[in-house]
Amino acid sequence: MSSVAPVVQNPFRQQFAAFAAGRREPDAIARLRREGLDRFASLGWPTRQQEAWRLADLGALAQIDLQRPADALVDAGVLPTLDLPVHRLTFVNGRFAPGLSRLRELPGQALIASLGQALLTHPERIEPHLERLPGLSQHPFAALNTAFWEDGAFVYLPRTTVAETPLHLIFHATGDDIAVYPRLLLVLEDGAQATVVVEYRGKGRYLNAPVAELQLGAGAVLHYHQVQEEASQAFHLGGVRVRQGRDSQANLHLVSFGGQLARTDLDTLLDGEGASCVLNGLILAHDRQMGDYHVRVEHAQPHGSSEQLFKSVLDGQARSVFDGMIHVRPHAQKTDARQSNRNLLLSKQARANANPRLEILADDVKCGHGSTTGFLNPDALFYLRARGIPAEQARTLLVHAFANDSLNRIQLTPLRERLASSLADCLALGNIEEQ
Amino acid sequence: MLEIRNLHATVDGREILKGIDLVIHPGETHAIMGPNGSGKSTLANVIAGREGYEVTEGEVLFDGKNLLEMAPEVRACEGLFLAFQYPVEIPGVANLYFLKAAVNAVRKYRGEPSVDAMDFWDLVQERMELVKMDESMLKRSVNEGFSGGEKKRNEVFQMAVLQPRFAVMDETDSGLDIDALRVVADGVNALRGPERGFLVITHYQRLLDYIVPDHVHVLFNGRIVRSGGKELALELEEQGYALYNEEPGRARRAAA
Ligand SMILES: Nc1ncnc2c1ncn2[C@@H]1O[C@H](COP(=O)(O)OP(=O)(O)OP(=O)(O)O)[C@@H](O)[C@H]1O
Ligand SMILES: [Mg+2]
Repeated sequence: MSSVAPVVQNPFRQQFAAFAAGRREPDAIARLRREGLDRFASLGWPTRQQEAWRLADLGALAQIDLQRPADALVDAGVLPTLDLPVHRLTFVNGRFAPGLSRLRELPGQALIASLGQALLTHPERIEPHLERLPGLSQHPFAALNTAFWEDGAFVYLPRTTVAETPLHLIFHATGDDIAVYPRLLLVLEDGAQATVVVEYRGKGRYLNAPVAELQLGAGAVLHYHQVQEEASQAFHLGGVRVRQGRDSQANLHLVSFGGQLARTDLDTLLDGEGASCVLNGLILAHDRQMGDYHVRVEHAQPHGSSEQLFKSVLDGQARSVFDGMIHVRPHAQKTDARQSNRNLLLSKQARANANPRLEILADDVKCGHGSTTGFLNPDALFYLRARGIPAEQARTLLVHAFANDSLNRIQLTPLRERLASSLADCLALGNIEEQ
Repeated sequence: MLEIRNLHATVDGREILKGIDLVIHPGETHAIMGPNGSGKSTLANVIAGREGYEVTEGEVLFDGKNLLEMAPEVRACEGLFLAFQYPVEIPGVANLYFLKAAVNAVRKYRGEPSVDAMDFWDLVQERMELVKMDESMLKRSVNEGFSGGEKKRNEVFQMAVLQPRFAVMDETDSGLDIDALRVVADGVNALRGPERGFLVITHYQRLLDYIVPDHVHVLFNGRIVRSGGKELALELEEQGYALYNEEPGRARRAAA
């Protein structure tokens, strides 16, 4: 155990005893929780001496005596909508809110439910998958999630099931000095297809430490969108694990607007031949916000392809981190792995950190990465102004143009449009109509 | 409509324009010729309001208003247009969208409502034909991946849509083949009229066969060292600028 981890003062162990005592669930799950707690204890609270947390300032979070959340109600009016027929599951402070949820008809044996409830009705569907994916093994908050998750969403699509209706999963937190640990377990069997929108948001000063586990069988296709719009005082320290089977396609769109500190660790394992993924991440941050993506793409099998596109737009004294690893195992020949990180600074005090990392152990692969950070192009600004477009509008146009590269990859139109206008609000710029 | 008086301008503390006097009346087309680095683009940029140029002396009036006090976008809304020597690529902003934003900005400045979508499309179609521009260029990002000639054509196209009252064309003919040159010239000539003025910067007399100027000026080392009619361009084509370089006195005599 590391000497810097104050496990003795670790309040989580005490909380855990009370929490675990109140749970009614299979022994296997209880065991996972204890393992999660032990893993957290051995990893310890992250410190800036640790490479993976070097740039994260968790000081303000460490000052908070994080409690388990109280039950809370939220008004349906504050929840985001998509202007589409969706399966909607809402969780408030990590607990299922049936009144704010609505499931439509599902094809065949498909299951979309509260994870807690499904664990009672269909434990055999869940136990083989929950906490079975590699990845995030060094992530203390993912470990805490495993110990403390109360509920979350369970999505199971059997072989060749195509869910035409998107899934809209809303995780809303409300309260001060609380920690919530929502969970998502998504299992797409061979050939299944789904579109998922996950929204993290809330009100107050809280920690949200979600974990999403996404499993794609052979030939499965997933369009996953994760929108982080936490309250301005909130902390978001989340993790996503993905495992892809043969010829599966994962399109993951991660957008980060909110929180004072928001980090997502994303571990993707391309575990079947010909698997492909697109990881499209965007951070918008202003004032003293910090946004962070730690990405690891592991090519385990031949003929896989991965494309990472991570961008940030930073105003004020905001900071962003992109830490992106491409790991190609010796066996994974003919891998095509690309990574690009581009950062736009709107103020001289903003700062973007990029840390691209490659570990290529196969010899017949195509790998590329690039990173750029810069201000708005003054020549482009002048060009627009010289055509009559006012300076502010010209700036807005150029920021949108930069972000649109990411947003335009989102095929779900109502979501894309909503994000474009959130982007304008977020940066306190004028809204402009979509191109 | 444009009056430039004793204009001095510096870049990074270095004086580039050393006292320019130039008056252009409505309906007139003036050409400026001069060797590389003589200050032609600097003059164009100062007129358009680009940052980084400091006017240390003199004034520029546009319809009697002090142009130098106006932001670049205000100058554009007042009816000024600069066709850039090096048009900027703007990835992610579609050409058509950009043009509509520009048209509406000008309309807003004049207190007019936004342009009607159908009217705008009709105008765009008509002007596209004028400069023989392909419709696919409208959807592409502004100038992104355009060839040199396409960029210049796009400048003329923008001018044709925005219909400014006064346009500065900074080497719009450079890099154009003879057909493209004619197209660009047609675009300019279609706009010429008693209310409009043009300042055409070029290195080649050939453009002036198509856009016949009322006056030709020689800009040399930050000064207009000679002015004359369109035949001056022919003379320059034959003799080059060596004359001015070696013996400024003789140039002045020749001008007199
Ligand atoms: N933004 C700038 N920064 C530094 N120097 C500049 C800048 N703009 C112009 N200059 C300098 O001013 C002088 C005049 O340049 P300008 O571009 O006006 O010449 P020009 O007459 O347009 O030449 P050309 O025929 O090559 O286009 C040159 O020495 C140039 O290097
Ligand atoms: Mg020039």
